Amino acid sequence: MRKPFILLIFLVTGPFLRAQVIGDLLEDESVLYAETKQVNQFFHRFNSEEDGKGNRIYKGDPAFRDSHLRKQALPMIFDRESSSLDKSIKNQFIKDVTNKNEPVFLDFHGGDWFAEVIIDVSFNGSIKEAHLYLKLQEEEVGSKWVITRVYFEPFARLFFKDPSAIDKFLHPMSHELDFMNLAKVFRKESQVEYYTYDNFVPDFLSIFIYEMKINNLKFNGVKKVNFHFFQVDGYYFKLEEFNRPGFNNGWLITQLKEVDQESKNRLIGTIYYEEN
Amino acid sequence: MKQASIIVLLIGLFTFPAFAQDSISPERKQAIDSLAMEKIRDLEKYISIIGSKETPASEAHRVIERATELFMEDSEMGVSSLGSDKINYYPVREYFQRLMALNYDKVSISWFNIQYISDLEQMPDGKWVGVITVYQRFEGTTKEGLKYKDTTKKDITVYVERKQTQIGGRTIGFWDVLLGDIRVAETKK
Repeated sequence: MRKPFILLIFLVTGPFLRAQVIGDLLEDESVLYAETKQVNQFFHRFNSEEDGKGNRIYKGDPAFRDSHLRKQALPMIFDRESSSLDKSIKNQFIKDVTNKNEPVFLDFHGGDWFAEVIIDVSFNGSIKEAHLYLKLQEEEVGSKWVITRVYFEPFARLFFKDPSAIDKFLHPMSHELDFMNLAKVFRKESQVEYYTYDNFVPDFLSIFIYEMKINNLKFNGVKKVNFHFFQVDGYYFKLEEFNRPGFNNGWLITQLKEVDQESKNRLIGTIYYEEN
Repeated sequence: MKQASIIVLLIGLFTFPAFAQDSISPERKQAIDSLAMEKIRDLEKYISIIGSKETPASEAHRVIERATELFMEDSEMGVSSLGSDKINYYPVREYFQRLMALNYDKVSISWFNIQYISDLEQMPDGKWVGVITVYQRFEGTTKEGLKYKDTTKKDITVYVERKQTQIGGRTIGFWDVLLGDIRVAETKK
């Protein structure tokens, strides 16, 4: 959509510009216009709340959230090079969110979306990757991003890795011996987690913070950021940033799946690496 | 410059509808955007002067002071390049000093006539925050005539705060804009 618009500008002003200038602009500025430069812009493009130049369209303007414009703009915010995007699901998704009777818009403060920030850390002398999950938390005044959980492979590999744990329990009369059998439990410290309550889930976030506080773990930098959206009923999509030549660039949808409640829970588990 | 900014905002005060602390009207947003863009243009101009090899050192140091004043305390530049996953974090003053000391015989810094201004979101401390994206083209030439060129995307944090001042015995409200952390990413353009 953007390219023809910019081409039109050049057709009008063309005679006054040198060929070199036109070449530079076509290669550079039009590409920059096309790029979804911020996540904020992704929201606005998704909802049709900005014009072709990136200027906000406010409520009251006929173009504000215009269904026709959305149908044109939505295909541009998908990663055209992604092999995991199913064309028929994509078309149905666009049809559903632009439904004239029940259109669906993204809401920055609407919840049901979160960030996955992949960071580089130094842990016990080696460089590792950690996944931080953050959500936007509403406050009495304003809002803020907060860390909700962490996935860190060196922690994950410490827990529940024994496939035959059936004999690991404190027998029900242990109390009569002042729990003296705890000595045996803690002698095999790698298996202590099997002696915890049902559904115990290790809290990697607390461990992560603890390891940072005792200087075993050091933040090096942010490697990549993804966003996971469940805001559109019946769908999940993933947003990633691309830095590549061409017009299909910036923040784009790379995965789109149809989900029901059960598959949604499964998918969230996968995003959190809970199956590991 | 600061005086001019205050005048612009005071004009805005009388031109636009009453202000509510928990929301910013589109008209008010546009006035704040203009003020923020004024700061960004100042920053762009200062970066071009600091980077230029024709700028005398004393002048460059003076401009570094002016440029640093645009920022909140503790603001940093997070710089990434295409060849590496690593992000280098520099306090803004250090970033400007490094820019001044770049080992090129000739440096040309220009800015694309395109920017993206985000919404303003309120923070728990009552201030507002937004991000403005601009693009810079850099070209450095060594004594041997070797050229290095890059285009970087700069995502610049903008903090906006409602403040008050006394003018002629009257309390007048105005908006203050300061720049914050900047993410600098080399682009594949």
